[in-house]
Amino acid sequence: MTQTTDLADALLLRRIAGGDEDAFSEVYRQKQPALYRFALHMTGNASVAEDVTQEVFMALIRDPKRFDPSRGTLGGFLFGVARNHLRKRWEQDRRLVAFDGDPDDLHGHASIDHGGIGSANGHSAHSNGHGGGVSSAPGWDEFASVEAIARVRQAVGTLPENYREVVVLCELEEMSYEEAASALGCPVGTVRSRLHRARAMLVEKLRETRSVRRISA
Amino acid sequence: MDCTRFEEIVHDIERPGTEGFALRDSALAHAESCANCARLMTDVESLDAGLRAMSVAAAGQQAPANLEVRLMAEFRRQRMASLRWSVPRQIAALSTAAAVMLAVGFSLHHFMGPKGHEAPGVTQLLNRPASPAAAAGSGTAQDSVNWIDTDDSEYASFIPLPYADDPSALDEGTVVRVEMPRAALASFGLPVAAMESDGTVRADLIVSADGTPQAIRLVPQASASQE
Repeated sequence: MTQTTDLADALLLRRIAGGDEDAFSEVYRQKQPALYRFALHMTGNASVAEDVTQEVFMALIRDPKRFDPSRGTLGGFLFGVARNHLRKRWEQDRRLVAFDGDPDDLHGHASIDHGGIGSANGHSAHSNGHGGGVSSAPGWDEFASVEAIARVRQAVGTLPENYREVVVLCELEEMSYEEAASALGCPVGTVRSRLHRARAMLVEKLRETRSVRRISA
Repeated sequence: MDCTRFEEIVHDIERPGTEGFALRDSALAHAESCANCARLMTDVESLDAGLRAMSVAAAGQQAPANLEVRLMAEFRRQRMASLRWSVPRQIAALSTAAAVMLAVGFSLHHFMGPKGHEAPGVTQLLNRPASPAAAAGSGTAQDSVNWIDTDDSEYASFIPLPYADDPSALDEGTVVRVEMPRAALASFGLPVAAMESDGTVRADLIVSADGTPQAIRLVPQASASQE
């Protein structure tokens, strides 16, 4: 986050506190997609993700002055509110933690928005977004299928919350360590070490999955 | 590079700005000579590919459009609700301020009268001020008041008023005798409760050149009746 962005966010918040509808709409359009995806990846449930997103912005409507620019970025504040709501929901319904909700939620969205992960559009966007290195990366063919993505998603979903958060923010939302640290309210070093540990756990989980598949085949 | 070091950095070798990225070449060289690390590197690259594919699949996802509509409606509702509360509050605050100002104005008018005119409660002017002209300028009622000579020692019994801002007035100010409700003495910081709250009381006020009372002294009833 740049200082310019922080300043712009602070001004937008001031306008929201003054009842400016356009300012609220602007903040919503800027921040909502990442917040929604964060909630979706954390829960695997589109309905819950929508509820969490709604609660985040309701908090902003009810008390825009709750955000203190001296304590962090607006994005970090909103992610913090989202995490609190997710935790409350997990306390209410522990099934979400196990990530055993409707596994078709993500697939459904993917196929609606992108025509499926293996589509030409999806592949093209992916290659452009990562310097064209993806199509040649080992294992791409394997992952260019909804089933393969489901395996990674399943593995991510079984990570403990703290580790899942950093994977979602740093890997899926492509935030820098600094941005993720701001969003999670923890030091950059913590983000780095959690991500390293989370990735090691994911590698292990995917190895196990492959072993099971080989045996069953 | 050894295997332990390789495991430490392998997850960062494709992440610019990290130590792993800086050591990428030596990590790749190590993987070529170590089967276990080569396998780990392949697994990490597969994981990266999977995560990127998952990211791309989710990239365009956002909340349904009707969520924004609902939130905007709620935003408007909250704003109207806050306006509904704030207007009566402002009216109440203004009413209170107006009432206080009226009360203060009435009190000042009642006890001192407007500047340049003799206060209705003034009964006499005591001891001419240092500048008699100042007293003479106090208004048309000048002729109707009686000048009273008082001993300088009597001034010691004057009590400075809480808002007195002109110490020189104690020597040079005009002394006026006024009659006021007993209850009004409270505004000068005098103990009303100890006296009868009904009726009036006579007091001498030292008034500065700008007409502001600076000190007060109660006139004993006996003395007041003699005058």
